[in-house]
Amino acid sequence: MEIVISLNQITKQFKKQTAVNNISTVIHKGELVAILGPNGAGKSTTLLMMLGLIEPTNGEITLMGDHPKHKRNRERIGAMLQEVSMIDALTVMEVIQLFRSYYPQPMAFEQLISITGLQEEDLKKRADKLSGGQKRRLSFALALAGDPEIIFFDEPTVGMDTSARRNFWRTVEEMNKKGKTVIFTTHYLQEADDVAKRIILFNQGKIIADGAPIDIKRKLTASSVSFAANDFISLEMLATIAYVMKVVEKDGRVFLETDHTDEVLEEIFARKIKVKDINIHHGRLDEAFEQLTRRGGEFVESSLDAV
Amino acid sequence: MNPVWMQCKAEILRIFRNPYFVFWSLFMPILFYFLFTNVFNVGMGDEWHAHFLMSVTCFSVMGSAIMTLGIRLVEERTKGWSMFMRLTPLSDGAYFFAKMVGQTMIHIFSIIIIFTVGSFINNVTLTISQWLLCGMWILLGSFPFLALGTLVGLMKKVDTASGVSNVIYMGLAILGGMWMPMEIMPKFIQSIAQWIPSFHFGSGAWEMVRGNAPSLVNISVLIGYLIVFVVLSIYIRRKQEVVV
Repeated sequence: MEIVISLNQITKQFKKQTAVNNISTVIHKGELVAILGPNGAGKSTTLLMMLGLIEPTNGEITLMGDHPKHKRNRERIGAMLQEVSMIDALTVMEVIQLFRSYYPQPMAFEQLISITGLQEEDLKKRADKLSGGQKRRLSFALALAGDPEIIFFDEPTVGMDTSARRNFWRTVEEMNKKGKTVIFTTHYLQEADDVAKRIILFNQGKIIADGAPIDIKRKLTASSVSFAANDFISLEMLATIAYVMKVVEKDGRVFLETDHTDEVLEEIFARKIKVKDINIHHGRLDEAFEQLTRRGGEFVESSLDAV
Repeated sequence: MNPVWMQCKAEILRIFRNPYFVFWSLFMPILFYFLFTNVFNVGMGDEWHAHFLMSVTCFSVMGSAIMTLGIRLVEERTKGWSMFMRLTPLSDGAYFFAKMVGQTMIHIFSIIIIFTVGSFINNVTLTISQWLLCGMWILLGSFPFLALGTLVGLMKKVDTASGVSNVIYMGLAILGGMWMPMEIMPKFIQSIAQWIPSFHFGSGAWEMVRGNAPSLVNISVLIGYLIVFVVLSIYIRRKQEVVV
């Protein structure tokens, strides 16, 4: 498969802070990639570097073989960014026609209109007077105005209601089926899991996992066995049980992280350890992801090493 | 559909639909003109009527060059629009060119409206060539102020930009003799005015309504300011880009 984006040892420093720390990856034509991670993980910075809007401090990025800023690239990409408000004083129709005029082979006007989902009377409204959700849909149409080969979305569904979200992703999947490469950032694991064919997981400026959603999920969702803590049980001893990856004491309970809960329970009973109030947790995705966010990667590092 | 032409059209539409432009660049100068020639200052004669008509036209065009352009540039940057535009195939140059074309069209429009209304209010009679030459002078003389507008456009916040540009605008108008004739100003203001671009901007037009040509000093001071503002504007812009 043809490589459309390549990042080679990219680092981006803002003053003293390292936003992106020495990452390398490639994206192929036709992929549907989610860049997933908690806030401040370096997702948007990476996306903006792919678009050539900010320059990396170190390393090299190519977009379809050229520097991202190359004019040929501008004609073949489309993007929806965060915190871009609509141009003032132009109507929806005027903005769409203006954007179509920039590109050699624009998408049909009617098709863009249907993507915005706006009613006939709304098309004559000033673009900056639309509601928040309508503006997002117009931004989506503007991103597609040039019928791009690669589409970038930075946190696209923030501010969309459920039905708008569904419509948005349906259109994105259709675009992807037609061979367009789609790259989006999100901090919703569920969204990445539902839509993307590949997840690049970011934390603290690094890529900590990269693969199909199912593999990422497995890495993120270790299960655990927990019981009420008491003075007779030593945590060191528990750590020697086979399959236990980590022992944590929290809120008066002891948690044994493992991906083989049955075997761990068997061993506890075999050793006749006196435990009370046993619980088995199968890590739910959101929970696991939240854990990742809170602990700043500690959890993932331990469970990823074990996989 | 030519993108540059579409962009020019969009820029012109945007300025016309801006209520501040209509108020500050058309309504206010005309109101000033009416007040200072018919209400407060009767009996100054035809020469004063023609002179002051040039003053308010310069005042209008100067204002839209500094304020409309400058504040809009800041707005577009703070709202993320300029960044978004950099993703489209439309080059920075074409974007800037369209802005300048838009401004120039608006200036032509303002000049025609104010000249027309002014000549009706006071029956100002100039020859066709005088009207045309004055119009041309004001149009070309607005370039240093457009460059000043791009300087204002480099400011970080809309509030600062509109505050600062208002002060500059009013200062230039008063020191340039656009509100009151230079002759009745105190001596020290008269000597400052010799260094102020707005005075030379007005001066060229005032000479022409009296049948003279703009002086070489008028022309060279305006060109000098144009160069200084353009160089400064490019220099600061480069510096800002490096920080990002």
